Amino acid sequence: MSKSTLIKIASLILMVVSFIAYIAGASAFPIASENLLPWSAWFLIAVIVNIIVWSNVVKLLTFSLAVIWFYAFVAGLVPESSTAVNLTELDWSDPDAVAEQGALVFNGKGQCAACHTVDTSAPPGRCPDLTDIGVNAATRVPGMDAKSYLIESMYQPANFLVPGYGKIMPEVWKAPINLSKLEIEAVIAYLQSLGGEIDPTPFDEPIDRADVGTTAEALPPLLTGDSELGKKVFVDAACISCHAVTGIESPAAGETNEDFEVVTAPDLSEIAAFNDMRYLEESILLPAAQIVSGYGAVTVRAKGTTFQGTLVSQDTEKIVVRTKAADGTEEEHTILLTEIDDEPIEELTNLQARGYFTLTLTPTDAEAPVTGEIVSETDETVTLKVGDENKSFSKTDVKSQMTVIIFDGDEIVGDHVSGTMDDDEIVLMVDGSEEMFDTFDLEEATMTRARGKKLLVTSPMPENFPIILSVADMTNLLSFLRTLTGATAEAVPEEAAEVPAE
Amino acid sequence: MTKISKKRLYLVLGCLLAIYVVLAIAPAFAQDVTEAEYREFPKIGSRNAAWIAAQLHLLFGSFILGVPMFAVIIEFIGWRTKDARYDRMAQEFIKLCMGAFSTTALLGGVLVFILIWCYPKVMSKLSGIFGPTMIFYVVLFFGETFTLYLYSYGWDKMQGRHKGWHLFLGVLLNVWGTAIMFVSNSWLSYQTSPATQHGVLSEMRKKSWMEEQLAADPSLTPETVMEGVTDHSTIPLHNETTGEFMGTVWDAVNNFTWMPINIHRLVGNIAFGGSIVAAYAAFRFLVAKTKEDKAHYDWMGYTGNFIALCGLIPLPFLGYWLGREIYMFNNTMGINMMGSLFSWLFIIQAVMIGVLFIGANYYLWSGMGRIEGAEIYARYRPYMITIIILCVAVWMTPRTLSKISSASELSAMGGANHPHLGLFGLMTAKNTVVNIIILTTFLSFLFYRRSGKTPTVSWGKVGNVAISSIFFFSTVAIVVIGIVGFSVPTDLRVNILTPYQVLIALAVMAVVTIVDIFMYRKATTSGAINWGEMTDRSQYVLILIAITFTSLMGLMGYARSGLREAWHIFGVMQDTSVDAFTPLLSEAVNMVAIIMVAFFALVGFIFWLGLWGEKKKQAAAAPVEAEVAVESDD
Repeated sequence: MSKSTLIKIASLILMVVSFIAYIAGASAFPIASENLLPWSAWFLIAVIVNIIVWSNVVKLLTFSLAVIWFYAFVAGLVPESSTAVNLTELDWSDPDAVAEQGALVFNGKGQCAACHTVDTSAPPGRCPDLTDIGVNAATRVPGMDAKSYLIESMYQPANFLVPGYGKIMPEVWKAPINLSKLEIEAVIAYLQSLGGEIDPTPFDEPIDRADVGTTAEALPPLLTGDSELGKKVFVDAACISCHAVTGIESPAAGETNEDFEVVTAPDLSEIAAFNDMRYLEESILLPAAQIVSGYGAVTVRAKGTTFQGTLVSQDTEKIVVRTKAADGTEEEHTILLTEIDDEPIEELTNLQARGYFTLTLTPTDAEAPVTGEIVSETDETVTLKVGDENKSFSKTDVKSQMTVIIFDGDEIVGDHVSGTMDDDEIVLMVDGSEEMFDTFDLEEATMTRARGKKLLVTSPMPENFPIILSVADMTNLLSFLRTLTGATAEAVPEEAAEVPAE
Repeated sequence: MTKISKKRLYLVLGCLLAIYVVLAIAPAFAQDVTEAEYREFPKIGSRNAAWIAAQLHLLFGSFILGVPMFAVIIEFIGWRTKDARYDRMAQEFIKLCMGAFSTTALLGGVLVFILIWCYPKVMSKLSGIFGPTMIFYVVLFFGETFTLYLYSYGWDKMQGRHKGWHLFLGVLLNVWGTAIMFVSNSWLSYQTSPATQHGVLSEMRKKSWMEEQLAADPSLTPETVMEGVTDHSTIPLHNETTGEFMGTVWDAVNNFTWMPINIHRLVGNIAFGGSIVAAYAAFRFLVAKTKEDKAHYDWMGYTGNFIALCGLIPLPFLGYWLGREIYMFNNTMGINMMGSLFSWLFIIQAVMIGVLFIGANYYLWSGMGRIEGAEIYARYRPYMITIIILCVAVWMTPRTLSKISSASELSAMGGANHPHLGLFGLMTAKNTVVNIIILTTFLSFLFYRRSGKTPTVSWGKVGNVAISSIFFFSTVAIVVIGIVGFSVPTDLRVNILTPYQVLIALAVMAVVTIVDIFMYRKATTSGAINWGEMTDRSQYVLILIAITFTSLMGLMGYARSGLREAWHIFGVMQDTSVDAFTPLLSEAVNMVAIIMVAFFALVGFIFWLGLWGEKKKQAAAAPVEAEVAVESDD
């Protein structure tokens, strides 16, 4: 056999082998992947040699194979997502490997990365950044350790919402995401690995998978409304007065809402892209159920001043409130939570729902008042985080307090000892010593149970839509909102030049 | 050495394939056969097995459905113009089709076998709904098979006064073929979009749907249920609680995506068939030994490419319609397609379509090289290629860069969208450039058509000015509409502006073609077309186009199927098998690459068999001809 024939055959074999190796994945043919050139380089070398040494038919085959390889190569370069996970068991002897599996679920089937970032320098995602969540998880809900918090977040994400973020996370154990328990365990291990320690302790699912219902029920309902009529409802019911939707003209301004400098309610142009129909429905029926960050109305007293405006942001230390003066100028105020004034509390009921986040009360068996963050409450008890400890107090077992307001405006609060405004004097225990007030000097005296700091965020959206909208209007409106995906604005239907029979 | 006949070779290969399939799946029979939901296909897994068989079947199916459509037109042209070359070429096309027909049927059988064995529950559900259409399919298949045999084997005998009947058979063949495709499309489109519009719903389903609503909420009345329901309202075809199918067969057939897929595939088949024929011609051109053969296959390649272009041009518009229906059926599915899981796939698609258009234009310009007097148009090429490349670049621009940018890049951009180039990622920009690419390609074809000809009509100059003005103003209009599209509501853009852009492009092509035909009706020819004098490079471009078409089909098949995610029937029947996930794009493309290698290997083999048979015939005829020649000499 001549030398040229040998070269021809060798280059042909190299081309076929390197093509198969590339397509099958280099790991299946490890010779070239580590120590030599990658298979793609071998393939290209073989293609060039084949084109030089061979004539027509083989040259044609080489060209065809090169084109096929080229498309596979280009497609391998672009970012991609897969919903593929085949977890049948987790090897807890190697927690890092479990965390790696969890990362695959996080970025793939779980679709977590669509909303969460794990990079503080990246632009904020639709859901909280999860950098160091392995540590931070323990601080989110007082009294709840990191793993419990992560378990709850995966199974019942609406139970606790990070301030500033809406209720948009689906229950990932339900359709259409359908994560198995193993997959959820792996994701939790991955999240714990982000700055924290992986805890391999097994846990019971806090849900009953049998309750998931039929698959049909698990899917968002198919709406039967007419989106065109819904759009008319959107304008007629004055939604457009506050909410911007790309391209819809506001009758009041005569221009599109995009031109407004100040938007009083969230832009709804892409609302359906990130929220399911249940959320949209709830937002109309109960506007205050979930308030989008930066759009809640708040009134707060701090440093002797009342701030009324929009709650721009909130974290565990401070809030930012944007107020608007009569001349239209806006100002943002940063207020430390410690600077918020205490308010007298008459009834110890529904404290959290009423916006209280700290409480100062005096148990009957104690001399001095106790102050702490409200962790949880029942009808009978309230649990406060005092220092590093959680302490529960009976609501009925609290000394009565009284708040008196003197004519010069000063408020004095103390444990009630005796007297009312009908008497000549009122005696209160203030800071451990009894003080007597002449009712003639007092403007007001209110019997209270405790004091607390309150931050009540409300929705500026009226709650009367269920009354003014008929069922048909509501259905049509929801159908219209469903079309606001933003994705249609940036990428509509195009299977451009898709060719025939797939 | 014993000679093997073509038929015997087919038989042997068919048997070998069947034996392989039986041996490969034999271990699977050892699995539990009672009440199985899924059975695993050995070695490669059920999904991969079904994927390979389905894609190969569809590629061959597309070819055998597409080719007869233009073969019958070419035959008709040959008949009316009495030019035997057309008849010969049409017959050659049908011979290719015959070779592929049995392979298509064989692969179809393999596919059904795999589906029934590996996915018994799914097939049971589908056959329960579509049973009557499956019987209809078989009837149609018989009709197509016998008509194809008659059409092909009767070609030589039905010349002359029987030509009209032969053409009728050709048309009938296409009717069968189209009906077969429509029926099978109903099954797969139902899996993707098992719902329909109230306006086309059967009375039976309307009634059952009303009962469901009233049962779900006793406070409702029939009147209140119907409030807000229009003809376009989406009605599911299943009981929302039990998943039971509640409609008629027609309800299931006439689902959201059925007709868009039908039309998209119908036209796509023409484009695909044309490109494969052109690739075959290119191969024959490259290996041709005589000038006559080179000239013939050059002409055939040109015709194939022309047919492929004719099919390619309306495809983006039809794809747009299909996509729109997907959004109408389920917004989430639409978002998944264009903005989430598959968004980058459409960037790859843009790369491929860019290759198709650049390749098709290059071939036309290259073809002008064999026409004397075509040089005058050469000066426009740099501008045209610049326009096409810029347009393709816009088409390839992704909307969001979050997945490929570093944090610092994202921070510098102020978000995931590039402040300026990000605009090109919007659909209005992409629709605009698609129309411009199509018009530029049409202009290339116009130049090709005019090459070597001089109009003799008195209004020639006015005609040219008019045509130039039409191109100029229509392009301006398309661009202006595109710019306006950035600032109007989606509904307005999707339903009015984009269709207007399409209509403008189509109107330009129609009007200019008519004007040009009249202008060049009695044109003088300054130079003939030297068929056969094409460069080898241009033939490689034809092969490139065919491979790109095939890749695109495979890629879009992955997208269409993957859109269902973990559902066999979207929202109705969940996929609980080990394959209940959407594979990575790179994995899918690798699978497509394997399928393409298999497809081209099979096609190459079939074509080679054709060549072999042809050579044998020629060899057998040669001595007879020689004898006849000797006798006549005597």
